This record gives sequence, structure tokens and C-alpha cells, in this order.
Amino acid sequence: MKRFSGSLKGVLRILLILLMAMGVGALIILLIGENPLEAYGALLRGAFNGKRNFGTTLANFTPLLLTSFAFAIASKAGAFNVGVEGEVFLGGIVAAWIGINVHAPAAVLIPLCFLGAALVGALWAFLPGALKAYWNVNEVCVTILMNYVAQFITSYLVSGPMSAGKANAQSDYVQVTLTQFMKPSSVNTGLFVAIVIAAVMIWMLSRTSFGYKVRMVGTNAAFAEYTGISPRRVLIQAMMVSGAIGGVAGCIEVLGVHGYFLNNFATGLGSNGMLAALIVKCDLRTVPIIALFLGVLKSGAMGMQQSTGVPKSIVDTITALFIIFATMETLFSFNRANRRQKRGNPDSKEVKK
Amino acid sequence: MNSPIIEMRSIVKNFGDVKAVRGASFDLRQGEIHSLIGENGAGKSTMMKLLYGMYDRDGGDISVGGAQMGRITPKLAIEKGVGMVHQEFMLVPELTVLENIILGFEPRKGMVLDLPKARAMVQRYIDQYDMDVQMNKRVNQISVGEAQRVEIIKILSRGANVLILDEPTAVLTPQEASHLFEILENLRRDGKSIVFISHRLNEVMEISDRVTVMRRGETIGTLSRGEWDYGKLARMMIGREVFLNVDKKASEPGKPVLQVEHLWTSGEKEISKIRDLSMEVRAGEIVGIAGIDGNGQSELIEAITGLRRVEKGRILLDGTDVTNGSPEAVRRAGLAHIPEDRNLRGLNRSMSIEDNMVATKLREFTKGGMMDRSAIRRYAEELVQRYDVRPGNPQMPTSSLSGGNAQKVVVAREVEMGAKLLVASQPTRGVDIGAIESIEAILEEVKAQGVAVLLVSADLREILSLSDRILVMYEGRITGSMPVDEANENTLGILMMGGSLEGKEEAR
Repeated sequence: MKRFSGSLKGVLRILLILLMAMGVGALIILLIGENPLEAYGALLRGAFNGKRNFGTTLANFTPLLLTSFAFAIASKAGAFNVGVEGEVFLGGIVAAWIGINVHAPAAVLIPLCFLGAALVGALWAFLPGALKAYWNVNEVCVTILMNYVAQFITSYLVSGPMSAGKANAQSDYVQVTLTQFMKPSSVNTGLFVAIVIAAVMIWMLSRTSFGYKVRMVGTNAAFAEYTGISPRRVLIQAMMVSGAIGGVAGCIEVLGVHGYFLNNFATGLGSNGMLAALIVKCDLRTVPIIALFLGVLKSGAMGMQQSTGVPKSIVDTITALFIIFATMETLFSFNRANRRQKRGNPDSKEVKK
Repeated sequence: MNSPIIEMRSIVKNFGDVKAVRGASFDLRQGEIHSLIGENGAGKSTMMKLLYGMYDRDGGDISVGGAQMGRITPKLAIEKGVGMVHQEFMLVPELTVLENIILGFEPRKGMVLDLPKARAMVQRYIDQYDMDVQMNKRVNQISVGEAQRVEIIKILSRGANVLILDEPTAVLTPQEASHLFEILENLRRDGKSIVFISHRLNEVMEISDRVTVMRRGETIGTLSRGEWDYGKLARMMIGREVFLNVDKKASEPGKPVLQVEHLWTSGEKEISKIRDLSMEVRAGEIVGIAGIDGNGQSELIEAITGLRRVEKGRILLDGTDVTNGSPEAVRRAGLAHIPEDRNLRGLNRSMSIEDNMVATKLREFTKGGMMDRSAIRRYAEELVQRYDVRPGNPQMPTSSLSGGNAQKVVVAREVEMGAKLLVASQPTRGVDIGAIESIEAILEEVKAQGVAVLLVSADLREILSLSDRILVMYEGRITGSMPVDEANENTLGILMMGGSLEGKEEAR
């Protein structure tokens, strides 16, 4: 009951911050001589009006939901996995390879693609996880660098061995695809896969003993070690789950959106997912809201630019404002007692001198 | 001579929803040692931090030297002659004692420091109060007791007439403590006024002119010398009778449960902190390890519990070789462990009481990978009740518990493991008398059930009252071993200092 109301407050806080960001955004739109109401109207229409627009929003939302959860799960165990993007790329290329080269009925082939993508994502995330756990190598550096490696591996493959021989660097078409149900948008049944994965993750973290261990290692590894849980093992496992989710996101993009592996298709997916997760400090219950919001902004921006004189980039400004406001911790913190204590607390620094 | 120089009336201080001080009053006369005693969380430190200006009070009047004070800052307090020695020393470890003392108040000669003048000034304090500090040593090379004297000189050199000492003896050996008392006596004779915060009744009765007792943010009463005895003060502190002297049952030690053979292990900074240490603990006995903090007790415990690598030697738990075993493996062999740092290892402060209670029994409360929430709830509710954890709502985060109640959660969890060996490291550190009483009784009970108990404590009274056998550790070795009836505070204190009465230098 208490936890629920805490979550509710979190949602309320996000909505208020959203309003503030939109408000400041409106001021900027006024400054460039446009009508903010009109612009926002166009933005909303661009995101929600009609099958095509709404479908595009959902299509944007799908990979963001997965990448934000991938990041959040790793962070629950105390790892900062910047490498989700690389896992999306590799998951995509493996799904494409299986989808092109393995001959089997769709009912077998599709799960096989997902499995392969998840597996390679997990293995890719195993490396930085193990390096951090056993040799205390900073996972942020490792994962950032591994993103380049992953991207270049896939670039090489679709330009060389797996190339379809077209003008664009891309692979052949896969034999099976996920059904696109709101054509002409590219939203596909992968959306439901993503939602199910998100739900399972929330359930896993709060109900299973693995989730308990992850939370314990993430909040106090010394305590976990003392009780007999191996923080190293749990950290690596959480990284692998994170990587697997990233791989699945790549698979959905390849099988559901493009139908082939398009060079550099995942650029930005990982970092946007990371943003979505960080804005709400990786609270799994509110992460989907942010992922959806980012999806809405992305698809609405197009519509806004087309029907008003407001440039698309204003949306990036709003996103940035949103992030700035969200990181101001005490803004709308609701917990006044807590805030007062923070303020009146003995910051002994000034006394120390 | 006897006019109050500090008066605090109806002081109120809240931290959020917590009422730390509610309407407490306190006064200090010129030239007296006035002790402020109470359980942890009674508000003693808060009260004095309000006087020193580290917190802003929410209500009440404070006057210093007859003048009403508005908002107090530490700077203003120092100007008014009020100084405070904190529990954690505020010294720069890399600077010398002299540099630390003059930091911020440096006497100058033109552009350069006037070190001879500073030296002369500090020497005056040293001579006047018999302080015994070495001005040229760096602070990280001196003992805790000496660092404390440096703090006192620092405050005096700022012109303090009123000295507030926040639990000064918590970090000292008995010998160092009695040296401190001599210094305090000298200061008092010189007309300084001293507020002495403590919860050790014996020392309070020894040195105080008056004692004020606080309980739950209120002042219960003030007694003058001659009006008090141990029982009376304890009753005022707790609000009921206490029985700290556990009636010890004679132990009938069984077979050895823990055997440590020729153990070598490294410390945080140095290799081979523990050098060739052997010991054993038998079923149904409590073995107490006495020693000044930092002489290898922590490393020994960590090596036994699988948290630190062993360089050489062997550790057997109930016959199983657990040398360099994982913490899980050692626990499986029969270990329960109350760790020395409750907030780091002992509890996960961001998790609820119930989640903390089942942390070492995860397997029992998991079904097919899922946590059995209702069984966990039932178990936690039972333990909370049995071990008297207050407030008793198992869903509360442990960060909201007081020190004593948080420790009860740790003790409950570990005792309920049903282990063969219980390692209890500083089980009552920073815990109030009520909780000390119950934790010590629990250890006694565990022993009676035939569990081998290894107790490490900085509190000699605790070691003496609980142990059947006492080992003294000094610089990574066991320098003494005796049955409890041959030990007393004095002999233990000497051994803890390395076996020499003038052992202050060696004892850093």
C-alpha cells in the first residue's frame, strides 16, 4: 500500500516536471514568433492522430521500452551498462543471420531468432560484467568502447559477407517477419513482446529470489557478500539479463520494422533508453511512462515541423529541459520532512575547519 | 563562582517527524564538570550541538554568560568561549600536531608563520594541564588518546572556557581514559567548565560535580555529587530497573568448534596484519577477544567468516576446513556472524526489516525461485516480537530504526540461523543500555544451548561479564590468554597496550 502511493507520487512528480518543461518550451516557441498552443496541438496530432501517427509513436516506444529496461536492470545490481546499444546491434545481426540462413517453419524460426539475439546480447554483456566483478574494470569505459566494436562488426558484416549487394549497406531480407498491425506505420507484434518482457522484469525484481539478490547487491554489496550471496555472480547475471533484453530489442527491429538488417539502425536507441531510465532513477514502474513520452515527442516532432513553422529541434530542447528538471531532486519531492532534514542537517563541513 | 554561564531552557529540536529534543533544559556553572547522560538517541549530543550552533533549534532559550543568544553558529559559539570535541576528530591527518592546532588561527610575523610563537603557546597548554602531546608528529602517527588531547588544546587555544566533550572515552583504553580524567580535573581547577557526554555510568560518577539525565529528548533530572548511585542513574536513564550483570552459568565447554591454526592474513594497508595466530573456541563457551581497535581483531574475524583471504594457516569449523571458503560456504559449515559494522555489513539499510531478516535464510523462504512473501511476513513478525524490535512493523526500512533496534534485527537474524559458531563482533557498540541488556542476555542464552561464541568487544566490562575465557590481541598477535576469573580491567588494559605500563608510544 505504501509502496503503491510512493509510486503514485513518482508519477505525479513526472507529470508536473513534464508540464514545466512544456511550459518553458512554450516560452521558447513564443520567442521564435510561433503560437505554442498550435505547435503543441500539431505535436499531439503528429503523435496520436490517425493510425499512421499513433502507430509510429508505438513503433518508437517499442525499442525504447526494452533498452530502458535493459539499462535499469543492470543498474539495479549496481552496474552502469552503457553498452545496451551494442547489444541491440549484435542481437539484430544474429536475428538477421538466423532469419536468412536457417530454414524452418515460422513457428520455430521466429523464437529461434529471438533466442539467438538474446543469447548473443547476454554474452556481449557478460564481458564487461565479468571484468567489473573480477578485476574491478570500470564498466562504463568498457561498454562505451564495446559499442563501437559491436557497431563496426555489424557494419562490416552487412557491407561484406552478409551484404544484399544494394546501394545501402544492408542484409538480405529475412524469411519471417513480425506482423505489422497498424500499417502504414511499422509498429508490430514486437510491441507485445516488449510489454511482456517489461512486466516480467518488474515481477522478477520484486517477487523472485533472483530479483531480491539483484536489489541487495545493488544497494549494499558488502552486506550481500556477508550474507553469503556472491555479489560478483549476481552482478554478472544482471548484466547478462540486461544484454539479453538489448538483443531482443535488436531482433524486434530487424524482424518487425525493417525485415532486414539495416546498417547503423540502432544508433541512439541505447542512449535514449538509458536517458529514459535515468530520468526516473531506474524506477521500473515509471520507466515505461518516460519511454512512451520520448516516443511521443519523436513522432510528434515530425508532424509539428510539417504543419507549423516550429523546427523539429525544439523537441530536443524540451527533452533536455525535461531531463534538467527531472534531475533537480528536491523539485516536487513531496516529502517535506525529508527535505527539511536535508536542509537543516549538520553539514559538518563548515564546522570542520 | 557558582553562577550559571550556560543556560538552556525548554529546548526543542525536530528532525522531520522525529522529535529529538522536546523541552529539555540544562545549565552549566563556572568551574564544574557537568555530565549529560542518557541512552542512544536520548538527545544528549543534539542538545550540545544546538549549543555549539551545529543545528538551529526549533524552540527554547539559550544564554551564554548571561546574554540571550539568537541564532548560534559554531563561529559565534567559539567567540563566546564555547568549544566542542566531537566524536570524530576533526584533524588533518597529514599535518603535524602543531599545524593542526594553529590551523586557521596562525600567528604571523609579516608574511610568514611565527612558528616559535605558536610552539610556545602550545607548550604552555601542555605544561599547564599535563597534556603530553608531541607537537612535531603528524596526526596520523599518534594514538587516539593523543589526538583527543590535540583537539582539547586546539579548543583551548581558541579561547574556550566551556568545553563540550561528546563521548570522549568511547575510543579510549582504560588507562587513556583515566589520563583524560586527570586533564579534565586540571582544567576544572583552572576554572574551565566542562560538559561531559557519556553513557558509561561508572566514569560519570567518578568525575562529575553534577549529572543531568536525558531520556527521549527530555531532561529527567539533575543530581549533584552524593545524591546518586549506579542503580538510581540507570533507572533514570531507562525508566525502569536494569540488570546488566548477566547471571552467568558455569560453562561446560564441549569439543572445539572453531580452530584457528597458525593463521596469517593481510590488512587493508599492510600485508601480514595477523601473524601466526592460533586459537580455538569450544562448544558452549564464550571466548572474548579484548584489544584496542585496529590490532587485527577485524581482520581475524573477516578471515574466519570468509570475507578476507588467508595467506597461510588453517581454519576449521566443526571439523570442516573453511580456509579461504566463500562466505556462503562458511555459513553452510555452521557460522552465524554479527558483524562489527552494523550499517555496512550488518544490514541493508534501504531494505525493509523483513527483507533483512531473511537475508541469510533465503533458501528456506524461496519456492521455485519465488520469494514466499507470506511466510517471510510471518517469520519477521514473530522475530520482531520475540526480540522486541521497536517499532515492530516488519515492512519498515531498517534505516528508520534506532541503533539498538537495528542491532536487534541483526542479532535476531543471526541467532535464528541455529549455527554451531556465533561470531559476535562489537555486538553492543553504539547501542543503548536497554538493548545492551537484552543482547548480552541473548548471547548468554546461545551459549547455554551449546553454541560456541567468539566475542570481540572494545568494552572491557562486556568482555569481563560475558566471557569464559579472554584472549588479548595486540598488533596481530594474541598476547594474553586467561580464564575470566584471573582477569580484570587493569591487567587487560596493560596487555592491550602491548604489555608495558608506559606503552603509549607503542600503542598507536
